[in-house]
Amino acid sequence: MKKGISVFLFRMGLASLFLVLTVFTLSIVVIAQELQVAVHLQGAEVVPYWDPSDGASGEIGLMNNLYEALLRYDAATNTFTPILATSYEQSEDAKTWTFKLREGVKFHTGNVMNAHAVKASIDRTIERGRGSSYIWSPVDSIEVIDDYTIRFHLRQPAPLDLVVAAGYCAYIFDPAYCDHDWFIAGNDSGTGPYTVESSEGSEKVITKKFDDYWGGWEGKHFDRVVFLSVSEASTRRLMLETGQADFCEQLPPTDIEALQDNLAVRVEVNPSFQNLMVLYNNQRTPLDNALVRRAMSYLIPYEDTVAVGLGGYGYVSRGVIPYGLWGYSDRVETFTYSPTVAKALLTQAGYPDGGFKFLLTYPAGYEDIRKTVELWRAACAELNITLDTRAMPTAERNAIARSPDPAKRQDIYLLYWWPDYANPDSFLSGMFYTQERPAYNLGYYSNPVFDALIDYAITLPTGSQEAIDMMVELQNILQRDAAGIAVWDMQYLRAMNTSLQGYVDNAAYPNVVFWYDCYRE
Amino acid sequence: MWKQLHNVALRAKRNPLTVIGLFLVAVFLLLAALAPWIAPYPQDVWAVHPEERFSPPSTQHWFGTDELGRDIFSRVIFGTRISLRIGMIVVVLAFAIGVPLGLIAGTFGGLLDEILMRVTDMFLSFPPLLLAMAISATLGASLENAMVAIAIAWWPWYARLIRSEALSIRERDYVEAARAAGATWVRLLFRHVLPNSLAPVIVQASMDFGSVILTSASLSFLGLGAQPPTPEWGLMINIGRSYFLTHWWIVTFPGLAILITVLSFNITGDGLREILDPKAERW
Repeated sequence: MKKGISVFLFRMGLASLFLVLTVFTLSIVVIAQELQVAVHLQGAEVVPYWDPSDGASGEIGLMNNLYEALLRYDAATNTFTPILATSYEQSEDAKTWTFKLREGVKFHTGNVMNAHAVKASIDRTIERGRGSSYIWSPVDSIEVIDDYTIRFHLRQPAPLDLVVAAGYCAYIFDPAYCDHDWFIAGNDSGTGPYTVESSEGSEKVITKKFDDYWGGWEGKHFDRVVFLSVSEASTRRLMLETGQADFCEQLPPTDIEALQDNLAVRVEVNPSFQNLMVLYNNQRTPLDNALVRRAMSYLIPYEDTVAVGLGGYGYVSRGVIPYGLWGYSDRVETFTYSPTVAKALLTQAGYPDGGFKFLLTYPAGYEDIRKTVELWRAACAELNITLDTRAMPTAERNAIARSPDPAKRQDIYLLYWWPDYANPDSFLSGMFYTQERPAYNLGYYSNPVFDALIDYAITLPTGSQEAIDMMVELQNILQRDAAGIAVWDMQYLRAMNTSLQGYVDNAAYPNVVFWYDCYRE
Repeated sequence: MWKQLHNVALRAKRNPLTVIGLFLVAVFLLLAALAPWIAPYPQDVWAVHPEERFSPPSTQHWFGTDELGRDIFSRVIFGTRISLRIGMIVVVLAFAIGVPLGLIAGTFGGLLDEILMRVTDMFLSFPPLLLAMAISATLGASLENAMVAIAIAWWPWYARLIRSEALSIRERDYVEAARAAGATWVRLLFRHVLPNSLAPVIVQASMDFGSVILTSASLSFLGLGAQPPTPEWGLMINIGRSYFLTHWWIVTFPGLAILITVLSFNITGDGLREILDPKAERW
């Protein structure tokens, strides 16, 4: 009898354990079905800049999901999608632009988006003068016509539709919540489909859907998007392969090729507007001599840098405007790898035996740049030129480059450049227009003729023949001066989970996934 | 003298592991000395050959080639020179700082001892790698700075060790006798205390050789030590880790080089302790 009770109790215990386990498993399945979570992997920091007025860096992927601009530009079709503006018109002289705003849009703070908020946002960005805020330089004043109409008065004609659609510094935020310290504590006040739920430094940000988003939440969308910084490329690849991540911004070419046979991962090779720029210190001997700069430019093994650095996924640059963006032209003069010409130029400059040592800084953690630098260094060594190459974190590198004491600055500065707004002007003004306090003109180039031509070029109608001719002329000035040169134009290597649908690569918003448009199938 | 050497040889013979360690260290020294003649492609320390990149190990390239087409075997061989240099410089530096301080503290005691030992305690309270990282990050990333950083993190161990030896030696009768006979402190230090407390420090130094090489490789791996294209093992692993899923040989061979080198110095150090310490009995 006693034995019978214990057997009964044992069976009951087993049954209840089974029940608990079943309920637990079911609840997990239900939660998993209800909550669609996407994981977006980046190699570098997720949010170098939290303040929507300040950015010009890797936060672009996160910010474009938290904040919205008036328009969005599609680089592939050269068309605009209305976002916070529903329609717009420009005056004949392209100096007055009027935008009709979308009604019923709410900020994540609960306040309503209107023309006053748009004006206040852009005024704040202009006033702070950080990051890519220079894109607003043609704007003279912003006028609120009524609650949902806003007008920009420009000093000179400019493609303002492209400017308001910029990937940086064009975000509209709630002026009632725009304290800098509040932003950098990890808060946001945008109108975008997602809002910050929590963050761990700038390494991990979890966003959740904003219930009152004007686009609504019908259809398939993700409920949460996790932005994660994983510096190790191999780890990013493994996370994709094991299904722990949905999207990976950039993987090394060798990994991309290895992933091509993996059915769980989809690989895309997409066009980009991103190139590798070399900025020579135009103010320091002997690089203040154009002959020496040209000689250095003839020492880059261009074809090899594309083959080795990019694994073949890119093109040798032709001028500073990248392949695919208007203004790119085969009329632009180029450099080729030629130690003979370099030697002749050095002799002409009075340095037949070389003997220089140049401090070259480049961003740490990018294999394609490191390999390019190694190839260049080996070529320079043949002519007795030493490249003292240093891979450095951005902040440290920029502190040297922007040092008030010119003696402390580097000789050669390498950087990726992609347009803050999809216009060739970004490549020309950003790095070569005279800057009293260097922001990104880190070759310290100053040429009044070039500046005057830029001022004129920006007034020409976007993409017109005259504008294209002017871009060619401007690039040729830079090439002849070898003020700074582009080495290669890259292609984007994207890897994502096969189940991820709705992703479209848009070269105007590099590394951005508009997660609202994506879903899992 | 001959008898002593014979004794040492006998002890060494009883411990075959030590012989292997010593043999490996000898090979390591030989490789470093003869690197330009042994390495099949000595120019690959600097030169690049893009067309030969990512070749797997073959008869032509025993350890394969890296992402820039450089012969990994040649670079690993040249790496021995760098590692040996790092080991020597750091151990000598740490020795030069730690031994005098420890000796003074141990021999004279008192307030001086208190002050010196609290300073060493401060250094010892950080793990050496962490301290070396902090120092080299402050000084800037280069091989020279990394060596200085490691030496700064390392000297307190020597100071501690030699102090404890000096403490016990200064109580010995012969030291007391010398002092009673009116020996100067210089004579006391250099004639009596130092020679008699050196053995454990030498053993420690031989073992540290391996740890120092490992630490410097770690610093280079973290980007705080040697800079490309220096054929430093840690740096080679750092660069190769981007390819380890697709091209295993780029990280494997420098990794094995570190493993074997560190192991051989450790075994040798262990053996040296047994040989130099007459009290140590084999179990």
